[in-house]
Amino acid sequence: MSADFTARAGAALADPTLKIAIDRTTITARTKRASAIAAWPEFPLARALGRDIKDHVIAHLDHYLLEFEANAIASGARVHWAETAQQACDITVALCRAADARSVTRSKSMLGEEIGLPHALAQAGIERVETDLAEHIIQLAGERPSHIIWPALHKTREQVGELFAREHHGALPLDTAEQMMASARRELREKFLAADVGISGANFLIADTGAVCTVTNEGNAELTTTPPRLHIVTAGIEKLVPSTAHAMSLLRLLVRSATGAELTQYTSFHRGPRRPGDTDGPTEFHIILVDNGRTRMRAEGLAEMLRCLRCGACLNHCVVFRQIGGHAYGGTYPGPMGAVITPILDGLAASHDLPNACTLNGQCQEVCPVAIPLPTLLRGWRDRSWREGLEPASLRGSLALWRFVARRPALYRAATALALPMMRLFARRGWISAMPLAGGWTRHRDLPAPPARGFMAQYAARQKAARR
Amino acid sequence: MAAADRPHVALFVTCLVDAMRPPIGFAAIALLEAAGCTVSVPAAQTCCGQPARNSGDRAGAADLAAHTIALLEPFDAVVVPSGSCAATIIQYPELFDAGSAWHARATALAGRTHELLSYLADHRKFIPAGIALQATATYHDSCSGLRELGVAAQPRALLGAVAGLALLPLDGAETCCGFGGTFCVKYPAISNAIVDEKARAIEATGAGLLLGGDLGCLMNMAGKLHRRGSPVRAYPAAEILAGMAGPAIGEPA
Amino acid sequence: MTDARAAILARLAGHRTDQATIAAQAAALLDRVGPTRPDRVRGAPDAVFLQRLASPAIGATGERIATLAELPEAVSRYLAAHALPPLVAVQPHPELAGLAWAGIATHADITPDEAVAVGLAHGGIAETASLVFHSGAHSPTLFAFLPMHHIVALHAHSVRPWLEDHIAADPPRNVNLVTGPSGTTDIEGTLVRGAHGPGHLHVVMIGSNNDADPVAATRPA
Repeated sequence: MSADFTARAGAALADPTLKIAIDRTTITARTKRASAIAAWPEFPLARALGRDIKDHVIAHLDHYLLEFEANAIASGARVHWAETAQQACDITVALCRAADARSVTRSKSMLGEEIGLPHALAQAGIERVETDLAEHIIQLAGERPSHIIWPALHKTREQVGELFAREHHGALPLDTAEQMMASARRELREKFLAADVGISGANFLIADTGAVCTVTNEGNAELTTTPPRLHIVTAGIEKLVPSTAHAMSLLRLLVRSATGAELTQYTSFHRGPRRPGDTDGPTEFHIILVDNGRTRMRAEGLAEMLRCLRCGACLNHCVVFRQIGGHAYGGTYPGPMGAVITPILDGLAASHDLPNACTLNGQCQEVCPVAIPLPTLLRGWRDRSWREGLEPASLRGSLALWRFVARRPALYRAATALALPMMRLFARRGWISAMPLAGGWTRHRDLPAPPARGFMAQYAARQKAARR
Repeated sequence: MAAADRPHVALFVTCLVDAMRPPIGFAAIALLEAAGCTVSVPAAQTCCGQPARNSGDRAGAADLAAHTIALLEPFDAVVVPSGSCAATIIQYPELFDAGSAWHARATALAGRTHELLSYLADHRKFIPAGIALQATATYHDSCSGLRELGVAAQPRALLGAVAGLALLPLDGAETCCGFGGTFCVKYPAISNAIVDEKARAIEATGAGLLLGGDLGCLMNMAGKLHRRGSPVRAYPAAEILAGMAGPAIGEPA
Repeated sequence: MTDARAAILARLAGHRTDQATIAAQAAALLDRVGPTRPDRVRGAPDAVFLQRLASPAIGATGERIATLAELPEAVSRYLAAHALPPLVAVQPHPELAGLAWAGIATHADITPDEAVAVGLAHGGIAETASLVFHSGAHSPTLFAFLPMHHIVALHAHSVRPWLEDHIAADPPRNVNLVTGPSGTTDIEGTLVRGAHGPGHLHVVMIGSNNDADPVAATRPA
């Protein structure tokens, strides 16, 4: 219950436009995912297979990284390794500088956000052009993504229209989403072709070919990575798969879970730089393999989280995310998956609210296409937060007192017998609308008045009467 | 050991039912007896330890788990009128080191522990007889029961045997109500936003009654409905099934 | 950088499994793919492809002609139907260059605001109605991304049932699976057609493939 999280969540709850925006996207997303899954009765088998593919890779990650590296190098790619976000940014900036790059186009990548690449490029004085529509919106607005699939989920179409009217140079109408997209297309067209470097993420790294798979619907990834002289891929090391065929099984799960489509419009496999005879494609192809906490997750009981395909289904189905949106979480990744990952990236002391601000209702796990036991992993962080003394003293004190009493049945009965009549003093016509120590409940809802005597006391009395 | 067709069942009534809604306990006893069980209510029971477990206090949770295991293990089955408390007991083994004696005892108990409505429907093949209630109702699936124990069809099947009771579908019946145990008092503003949405969905069904299998969730939704001035009345499903529909939650006795 | 590599690999090193065991495990996973494929995909692959192509979820259009020689006529019809000028970029593929493009001015380079491009796909996938493009001298990558209208010829015999069926042993620099015209759901989650890539995708199926195994027959029993 740190002030930061509570304040951010409070601000989000006080913004009615934000709730409208969240509902419009998440309701559509849940409906479309549900119909895609309903049309795919094989989903449970596919989900078990997807889980097992990822677990196999995570168990043998060193093997697959080495296989991928060898095949990528054989295809003409240059492979770099980064332990930290800072190292990954440094490598990227150094590559841009070595290429004398003035302009960089970027295709949406959550890893890029995670390592702070937009900031690093700005610090280095390199112009960055975001090409994904949502990232373009975010860049114009000077904001951060609020969702891993829909970074501009927190914006209504009306707000996007106003933003484009202010920032775009054309005079196209901006009343519908189609018109807003057309305006962005015109705005970004020349920038795609003028860029010196294109930076993308990776949905899968294919070990047996050294290829990098990216998926987009807009076609911006190819336009980002084909025209520039350099293509730089920043990818988390957990993105490995043994082969293209394994990637296909995961694609069936990923796309349906994300947007409800069966496949993204563009599913691309990049393998090395331009080859003799090619008339387009980058002349240099760099892949940066980023750890940034992933080996720690594997070692510290969070290996299952490395299955994550970044589909966003757990966010769309989370009752907490759907009320407070993504920015309130305070990290790169919001929602259930973010509440598991953020303590690794930002430290538990700064983020212990996230695993606690969850009702453990389990819907996230139910919709996860690779069956990540998110509630269990969140419990793991709660246990650790408790052990490390990060939970507030008031909570620790009251739980310790409650435990002391609950361990002593006679004392527990006596305490109940005392407390219930006291609570009843605050009741009016069956309900308590305010009571000391119950503000968390009664600020927003009424509390039914308890009985004068609890069940155990009533039952004991009945048993005694029956024996007479 | 009782005969297989007349199991000796321990009712673990839960701390919330004990303090806030005793009729659920009496309804559970009546239903279990009607379903051919011998029912005992072990006198030393307090709380399953869920608040400690959900707060990360594993040691505290294990301490209460040990108390509860020792209390309940002599019985053929343990029945709990709450999906989330039943799930807590069923997950007790996680609190102990694998291979330890307590782990073995927890595992044995977990295998004999059941949520009330699913125990009645699945294990006792029980169908309420001669129960009538002229009302329209909607049913909320509490999350622990639904996702951890697979309780969904059983309450509907049982309620379907109540003459005159029409069940109306609830949009988002499987969506959390925002209770979440300690969550609702640790993050009251978020919990309120969630339960407000739930209350609106309940009101939109047009049903006169809200039914459910977990008292915590029902208190959360009933308390919000009352604060909103809604006429919907909330009942634990067990009370309806036992033909013991007295005052609804929050109505003076 | 070598330090980072060594450090990461050191943290991952555990009990070593021999390569043959890992390969056997990976192969065993693929043995489980068959029953996970969507069973409702049934019929001759090229017929399934055209049917799925026209579904609202994919939003492309398609037609069938008997031989590739009829492609220029099909393109002319498309241009007329969309009131487009007879000026198209034609993918520099020998099969397309040899056609009689009477009445249509063609060029082999593609411009950033190209209205219409005509291409030839390497193959098709029935399951998802995806076109497969392999980059190379005859198939520049940008042909599938820059035009507003993309007309793609597809040999019926090159359409295969499943996503796994077009995996090359030694893939080219760029393999693209194109599934419908470009789109975005970035504004309020609603699909809008025509993003940075083509706004219109039209597939011209060449011939038919009645001899092919129906899709469902490829599923394990």
